[in-house]
Amino acid sequence: MQNLLLTGIFLSFFIFFIPKNMKYWYTLLLLLTHILISSIWAAESIFYLSSPVSITIIPDILNYDFSLHIDKLSGFFLIVINFTSLMGFIYAYKYLEPYKRIKFELSFSIHYFSYLWLYLSMILVVCIQDGPAFIIMWEIMALSSFMLVIFNAENRTIMKTGINYLIQMHIGMIFILIAFLIAEKDSNILGFRSLDIYFSEHMNFPLFVIFFLGFGLKAGFIPLHTWLPQAHPAAPSHVSAVMSGVMIKMGIYGIMRVTASLHNDLFSIGIFVLSVSLISGVLGVMMAITQHDLKKLLAYHSIENIGIIGIGVGIGIIGTSQNMTLLSVLGYSGALLHVLNHSLFKSLLFFCAGSVLHSTKTKDVEQLGGLIKKMPYTAALFLFGSLSICGLPPFNGFISEYLIYSGMFKSLANTDLYMSFILVASITGLTLIGGLALFCFTKAFGVTFLGQPRSGKTKTAKEVSTVMLVPGFMILIVILLIGLASSIFTGPILLIVTETFNLSGLQNNFDDVRNSITKINVTGLIFIITVALIYYVRRVVLKTKIVTYGPTWGCGYTAGNSRHQYTSTSFADNFTLLAKPILRTTKSMESIGGENLFPESAVFRSKNHDIFKDFIIEYPKEFILKVLKKIAVMQTGQINHYILYAFLFILGALLLTYFKLI
Amino acid sequence: MINYLTVLFSISVVYLAVTERYRVYSRLLAIQGIILFGITFAELTDLKWYTLLFVASETLIFKALVVPYMLNRIILRTNVFKVHTNALSGFYSLILIILSLLASIFMANTLKNPQINTVFFTIAFFTLFAGLIIIVTHKLIISHLIGFLVLENSSFIFSMAVGNEMPMLINIGILLDIFVGVLILGFFGMKLKPNINELSLLKD
Amino acid sequence: MTGLLLIILSSVFFPGIILRIKSIASGRKGPGIMQPVKDIIVLFRKNNVFSDTSSLIFQIAPAVGLTAVLCSSLLIPFADKPALINFDSDFVYFSYILALGKFFMIIAALDTGSGFEGMGANREALFSMITEPAFFILLGTFSMLTGYTSFSDIFTQFYMSDSDFVMIFSLIGVYILIQIAMIENSRFPVDDPKTHLELTMIHEVMILDNSGFDKALIHITTYLKFAVYGSLIYNISVPAGWNIYLQLLLFAVVQALFASTVGILESFRARNRMRKNPDFILTLTAISIVAFVVVIIIRGKMI
Repeated sequence: MQNLLLTGIFLSFFIFFIPKNMKYWYTLLLLLTHILISSIWAAESIFYLSSPVSITIIPDILNYDFSLHIDKLSGFFLIVINFTSLMGFIYAYKYLEPYKRIKFELSFSIHYFSYLWLYLSMILVVCIQDGPAFIIMWEIMALSSFMLVIFNAENRTIMKTGINYLIQMHIGMIFILIAFLIAEKDSNILGFRSLDIYFSEHMNFPLFVIFFLGFGLKAGFIPLHTWLPQAHPAAPSHVSAVMSGVMIKMGIYGIMRVTASLHNDLFSIGIFVLSVSLISGVLGVMMAITQHDLKKLLAYHSIENIGIIGIGVGIGIIGTSQNMTLLSVLGYSGALLHVLNHSLFKSLLFFCAGSVLHSTKTKDVEQLGGLIKKMPYTAALFLFGSLSICGLPPFNGFISEYLIYSGMFKSLANTDLYMSFILVASITGLTLIGGLALFCFTKAFGVTFLGQPRSGKTKTAKEVSTVMLVPGFMILIVILLIGLASSIFTGPILLIVTETFNLSGLQNNFDDVRNSITKINVTGLIFIITVALIYYVRRVVLKTKIVTYGPTWGCGYTAGNSRHQYTSTSFADNFTLLAKPILRTTKSMESIGGENLFPESAVFRSKNHDIFKDFIIEYPKEFILKVLKKIAVMQTGQINHYILYAFLFILGALLLTYFKLI
Repeated sequence: MINYLTVLFSISVVYLAVTERYRVYSRLLAIQGIILFGITFAELTDLKWYTLLFVASETLIFKALVVPYMLNRIILRTNVFKVHTNALSGFYSLILIILSLLASIFMANTLKNPQINTVFFTIAFFTLFAGLIIIVTHKLIISHLIGFLVLENSSFIFSMAVGNEMPMLINIGILLDIFVGVLILGFFGMKLKPNINELSLLKD
Repeated sequence: MTGLLLIILSSVFFPGIILRIKSIASGRKGPGIMQPVKDIIVLFRKNNVFSDTSSLIFQIAPAVGLTAVLCSSLLIPFADKPALINFDSDFVYFSYILALGKFFMIIAALDTGSGFEGMGANREALFSMITEPAFFILLGTFSMLTGYTSFSDIFTQFYMSDSDFVMIFSLIGVYILIQIAMIENSRFPVDDPKTHLELTMIHEVMILDNSGFDKALIHITTYLKFAVYGSLIYNISVPAGWNIYLQLLLFAVVQALFASTVGILESFRARNRMRKNPDFILTLTAISIVAFVVVIIIRGKMI
C-alpha cells in the first residue's frame, strides 16, 4: 500500500494537465484513494494491533529512512482529518461553481492542487516522528493553506491577510525548529523520539513553553490567535471549514505528543496550559459575541473551543502530576473527543455560513434575517450545529464537556486546598464558556435566519443545491451518532488515552463512565421521543381548532417595519456594556439636535477592538513604522551619499580595531 | 455556633460590596457589631465579668447602636442617600471581593501558625480587603468613613485571631476602636452640618 | 417514580398558593387555589393565532421547553430511593438540559421579529448565563462535602456527615436555590410577571405572541420548573433517612412553605432596576463561594 501512496503523491502533479471539466473528479479520485489507505492504517492501529503500525516508504535517503509511524493517537487524528477533508471537498463542487466563469483555469488547478496537498501534508504530519520530515510537512501545510486562503486575492485585503497568515505560521515553525534543536542536544536524534530522553534529564518547563508557542500559534490560543479571525473569513468557505476543523487541531496534536513524553515539572506545566486555555476560552467567546460578520464570529468560536480542548489537556496534565489517574484519563478523553466533535460541528457551521454567503452574497449578519423561509435546510443544519457547539444534550458537544466536568467533580472530594481551588476555577470557567456560547449562538442563529429581512439582500436568496447540503447532512448523522450512541466513540478513545499517556490501572472505574454515558444516551432518546410525541399531540389538537395568521403583535403601532427588530449589535449590547473593560466597544453617535421638532436622520457607529491584536500587532507595528520612517531619511537616492556611508563604515571599523574593541 | 456567626459575617461583607445605599451600609455595620459581640462571647471563655461588660459595651452599644445612629443622622442632614459616584459598578466590585476572598484564603493558609486561629485570620484579611476596596473606589468622604469602620472591624477580628490567650491585648485594641470612632464621627458629625457640596469638596 | 409524581402533583397547587398569598397580602380574597389549572384548561380550548413572520421554530419551541423540564425532573430523587435516572455528575446534565429549553424559548422569541421579544430574549440569555456558576459551585460544594457526584447519592449522604456543620450548608443551599428558582422563573426581584410594561419584563415578554395550546404548554413548563426547584429545596432541607409517610407529609408542608415564601417575597419587595440585576445574580455566586470555603475548612484542608 505504500506504493499506492507514493504513486498518488506523484500523480497529484498531473492535476495541471487534466482538462478543465475533469479536474475536480481527478482530484476527488486521488483524495478518495488516500483517504482509503490512511483509514485502513488508522483502523489497524486503533482496533487490531497493540503496537503501532510502522511503514517504511523510502528507505535510506540521506542516511535515514523516510518512514511513517502510526500509533493510536495518529490513527485518531487520521480519522478526524479524513472525514472533514472529504466533506469539504464534496461541498466545494457547487460552491466553486460561480467562480468558474471568473477565474482562470490555472487558479483552479492551483486551488485543487493545494487542497490535495493540504490534505496529504496533514496526514503525513500526524504520522511522522522524525524531525526534519515533520518540519517539511508542517511547512507544506502552511504553504498550501496560504495558497487556498488567497483564492480571491484580487481583493487587496485578502492578499494582505494571507501574507499576515503566512508570516505568523513561519514564526510558529521557527519556534518548533528551535525546540527540536534544543532537544537534540543529548540524544543526537532530531524529532519526537528525542523528547523522552531530553525530558528525563532536564527541566521540562522551558522546552515545553517553546513547543507550546510554536504549536499554539497553529492552534490559536490567546494571545497567539491574531491570524485566525482574519484568515478564516478571507478564505472560501470549504477552506475555512477544513482549516478550522482540522488544521488548527494539528497544533493540538503537537502539544499532545510533547505532553506524552513529559517527565517532571508537570504541575506547573499543567497550570500554565490550564490558565492559557481558560483565558482563550472565555475571551474567545466574549469577542465572538461582538462580531457581526458571520465567519469572523465562527472563527472566534474556534478559539473558544481550542480553549476547551486545552482545559481538558491541562486538567489531564495536572491529574498526572498529582497521581489522580481518573482525573487525568477523563481530562484527556474529553479533550480528544472534543477534537472530533469540534471538527464536525464547526465544519457544519462553516458550510452553512458558506451557503448563506453563496445565496445572499453577504456575510454581514446585520443585513440578513428571515432566511429560514428561503433556505430551510441550511437553517435546520445551522440550528443543529449551534445546539451542538453550545454543548447541549442530546448532541455530541455535551458528551465531551460532560467527560471533562465529570473528571473534575469526581476528583473534587479528595484533594488538597490548592487543587480544590484550581478545579473550582476551571469549573466556573467552563460554565461561563457554556453560558456565553449559548448567548452568542442564539444571537447568530436568531438574527441571521429568523425574524424579518433587515435589508434587500435576502430577496433573491434561495436554497442551495443538494450537493452543497449533502456534506451537512452526513455530518449531522455523525453528530447524532456520537450524541446518542456515544459508547462507540468513547470506548476507543479511553483506550487511546490510556495507551498514549501511559495511564493504566483503572479498568473498573471506566465502567462507571461507560454506565453514565449509556444513561445519558438513553435520556437523549427519551427526550427526542417525548418531543415528537408532544408535537404530534399538538398537531392533532390544532386540527380541531381554528388557526389564523396575522402580523406580529406590535402594541398597537401599525407603522412598524423590519428595522424595529433586534439587530446583532443590540442583542449583544447588554453584555458588551457589562464587559466593557475587556471588550472596549466604542460607540459614537451624532445626537439628535435639540431644536428640531421633527428630527431627521442620525448616525450611530460602534466599533469593537480585539485588545490582543491591538497590543501585539497594531501598536508595535505603528511604532516600528514610525522609527523606520525616521531612519528612511538616509535613503537619499544619490550615489555619492552611499559611497560616503561605505567610507564612514570603513573608518569606524579601523578606529574600533585600533582601540582594540573588536 | 462560631461557624454560623463567621459565615454570617462573611455574607455581610459580601453585601457591603454590592449595595449602593447608605442606609444599607449603616444597617450592615450594625449587624456586624452584633455578630462580633456573639463571636467574642462564644470565643473568649475565660473572661472576668468586667472584661465581658467592657466588650459588650464596645461591640453591642458602640458598634451596633451608636455608630449607625450617628451615621443615619449624618445621612439625613446631608441628604446623601445613594452612592452616585462610584469608580466601579457593582458587578466589578463584586468580582474584586470574590478575588479578595480567594486571596485571603491563600494568604492565611501560607502564614499558618499554631498560635493563630486560621479561620479568623482569613475573615480578618477578607474584611480588610473589603474595607480597602470601599475606600479606594468611592469618591465621597462619607464612603471613606464607612470603609474605615469596616477596617476597624477587621482589626478587631485580627486581635481575636491572635489574642485567644491574652485578654489585655484585646482590651487595648478595643480602646483604639472607640478612640478612632469617636474622633472621626464627632468631628464630622458636628462640624459639617451643611449641604453635600462641602463633603465632596473636602476631598480635593 | 414517587419523586416524579410528587413533582407533578405539587406543580398543580404551587401557582395557586402563590397567587392566593399575594392576594391576601394585598388585602383581597383572591382566586381559588385551582384557578391556574382552570386557566390552563381554558387555554387548551382556545384557538390559535400565529404570526406570519414566524416559522417552524415557533411551533416546536413550547414542546421542547416542556420536554426539557420533564427530562430534568427525571433526575431528582425523593427520600432515600434513587431517581429514575441517576449517574455520576448528573447535575451537569440537569443544568444543560434546562439550558436547551431556554435556547429554544429565546430563538422562538427572536422568531417573531418583534422588538419587544428581542428585548426579553437578550435579557434572559444574559441572566441565565450569570446564574449558572452559582448553581455549579453550590453543587461542587455539596459533592465535596459528601464525596459523591450524583443527585441521588448527594441527598442520601447529605445528613450523614458531621451534624453540626450540615445545617450551614442546608441553610445556604436553601437560600441560594430559592433565589435561583426565582431568577430562572423570572419572578421578583428580577422580573415582574404581572406588569404590563414590556420594557420591564423578561419572561412574559418572550411569550407575547403565543396563544392557545402553546401558551398552555408554556405555563405548564413554568409551573413544573418551580416544582422541580421546590423538590430540590425539599431534598436539601429534610434528611433522607426519615420515615416515608413523614416524608410525604413534610414534602407537602415544605412545598406550601416555599410557595408562601415566594408569595410573601413578591408582595413586599420591589423589582430591581434592570441594570442592577447582574450584580444581584453575581452575589449568589459570591455566597456559594463562601459556602465552598466553609467546606474546605470543614474538610480540614485549612486548619
